[in-house]
Amino acid sequence: MRKLWLSLVVVLGLILAAGCVSEESAGSGGDEEADGAEETDNTSEEGNTEEAESDDELEIAVVPKLVGIPYFNASETGAEQAGEDLGVNVEYTGPTEADAAAQVKVIEDLISQDVDAIAVAPNDPASVEPVLKKAKENDIHVMDWDTPADKELVDLSVKQVDDEEFGRHMAEKLVEAMGTEEGEIAILTGGLSAANLNSWIDAAQSELDENYPDIEIVSDKIPTDEKQQVAYQKTLDLLKSYPDLKGVLAVSTPAPLGAAQAVQEKGLQDEVSVVGSALPTDSEPFLEDGSLDTAVLWNPEQLGYLTVALGKMLAEGEMPEDGQEIEGVGEITVEDDGKTVIMAPPQDYTKENASEFDF
Amino acid sequence: MKALLKQKEFSVLAIVIIICVILSFVSPVFLTVGNWMDILEGNTVIGILAIGMTLIIITSDIDVSVAALTTAVAVSIGFMFQYLPDSWFSVVLIFLIAPLIGMLLGAFNGILVSKIQIPAIVVTLGTLNIFSGLVLYFTNGNYINSTQFPQSFMAFSNIEILGIPILIYLFALVAVSTWFILKYTLIGRSVLAIGGNAQSSTRVGINFKKVKMFVFTYMGFLGGVAAIAQTSYTTAVDPNGLMGLELTVIAAVVLGGANIHGGRGSIPGTLLGVLLLAIMQNGMILARIDTFWQNVVTGAIIVIAVSYDEINHRRNQAKLANIDVKEAS
Repeated sequence: MRKLWLSLVVVLGLILAAGCVSEESAGSGGDEEADGAEETDNTSEEGNTEEAESDDELEIAVVPKLVGIPYFNASETGAEQAGEDLGVNVEYTGPTEADAAAQVKVIEDLISQDVDAIAVAPNDPASVEPVLKKAKENDIHVMDWDTPADKELVDLSVKQVDDEEFGRHMAEKLVEAMGTEEGEIAILTGGLSAANLNSWIDAAQSELDENYPDIEIVSDKIPTDEKQQVAYQKTLDLLKSYPDLKGVLAVSTPAPLGAAQAVQEKGLQDEVSVVGSALPTDSEPFLEDGSLDTAVLWNPEQLGYLTVALGKMLAEGEMPEDGQEIEGVGEITVEDDGKTVIMAPPQDYTKENASEFDF
Repeated sequence: MKALLKQKEFSVLAIVIIICVILSFVSPVFLTVGNWMDILEGNTVIGILAIGMTLIIITSDIDVSVAALTTAVAVSIGFMFQYLPDSWFSVVLIFLIAPLIGMLLGAFNGILVSKIQIPAIVVTLGTLNIFSGLVLYFTNGNYINSTQFPQSFMAFSNIEILGIPILIYLFALVAVSTWFILKYTLIGRSVLAIGGNAQSSTRVGINFKKVKMFVFTYMGFLGGVAAIAQTSYTTAVDPNGLMGLELTVIAAVVLGGANIHGGRGSIPGTLLGVLLLAIMQNGMILARIDTFWQNVVTGAIIVIAVSYDEINHRRNQAKLANIDVKEAS
């Protein structure tokens, strides 16, 4: 029996040792890969001699919720443009899925690369807290963008719009599109637990309650799993279930497309108005025939640009001021706490202007 | 009647009927033709994938790469659309190429599972990541909207025969032919035999590898068909649009009475499983159930359906065991 225990312990020890070794080698291999990728990135993008001596350039890391969706691709374009314009090195990197744990790993890697500033759009504010603390201990400037992290922790917080203003603006646009101040409307959302979507919807609801008391919201907000086909099916069900429905407010980028598709298919463009947050190129086919009345969003390219610009200021020890003019973005608003920066008022995309944008 | 009660699909059918009765009292819209067309058309993709998954689950394997595989084919379709001329020929060509791409991807899973004999969950978890990684690399997540589709394909997706959308015919065709394969062909019977008892079935001369290869390739083929259905349903290609759908597909198959350990499962059962999930989704809004309660209700019905089915199955097994003992003594 004792022999058995002994051998078990030995085996366990071996496994642990092997685990450590392979982790180490995997870790270093990963770093090398990352470095390699960086180098090729630099050479392919810039290729000029200035970039070769990039050692004393500031390094700003921008971490989106995930990479590979149109919205965050657009902000990547903006962030890289800012890097070029302002002469800073921009590392735009994030997980391939909107996964909190994967995002934490990305930030860990950035800390070991010793960048000057990290701007993160947290998937889950609570789970990035420890790693952001660690970044601060390593004298890295920490900021959030797109979605707020813990307020106490960040040096700066970049917001695309004021949530309250954005929600109220969407509600106003919907009432405008409906052309009447009474009737039934429904609200679609990406997911019930998304904090920013919830705060927009709350703001929209208070706008409707305060100023348009005759508008009735037929049910609680309806989740659509961030998927167009789900939003499409739910809107079909809504149209059947509430034949007098006058409007749909669809929050989250795929939801307005699905809602508009249902309205388009049933030929209800004139009876049912759809307003929501969507990117202009995606919404074009629906804006054209009026099945989607207005897409409201901000400019994600500018958001990426502003994040890098502010990251640079922060790394140089400056703080932005209220009403300051940022080149390429415009006048920004700084809230009373001195560290929450609001980019611009919401932007409307309509039939007339949607084709002017390439995101 | 007794024969009907004994059918293993009966428990799901009973629950489907009960829910239908309740919903038709609660909402006058539920039992309309239009609503049922919406339900069926909206669940064509899940249905087609669940039919393929049934065969895999019968052989006691699982394929978690289906959603990624379908997305990969859908993205290929979107890519081809940019080069295809606007004629009916393009639609026919899509119907030839898309299932073929699906079959190749499915065969890749099949080879790894049957020839190298890696457990299917590991293989398909791997290919899930390979497929979705490649899709993200090539598309960068960009959405392709209908402005880039050939008009002929848009016309195809709007076809209705006798007031029934074309996708429902496609769904029915897949269901009937798979049911036929499973019931009346040698390979179909082998699928059931291997699921029942792999060792005995190889002893009677069934080629284990060939059958495994078949179920995964067939799954890929149906993934290709589902990709066409998805593209025509949403008239868009969204690289993230099917993420996580594999779980719904597997849930539908298991709800339909298939045993995750293999050997048990049928096409009618799976169709009922898909229908159960579909009418629950549909009924939530029609019945005007509060959003936050919808998940609770959905979960509760799933638990009830599965436990009911499992208890029934266990009871039947107990009877079988009883007979065995009596014969032995």
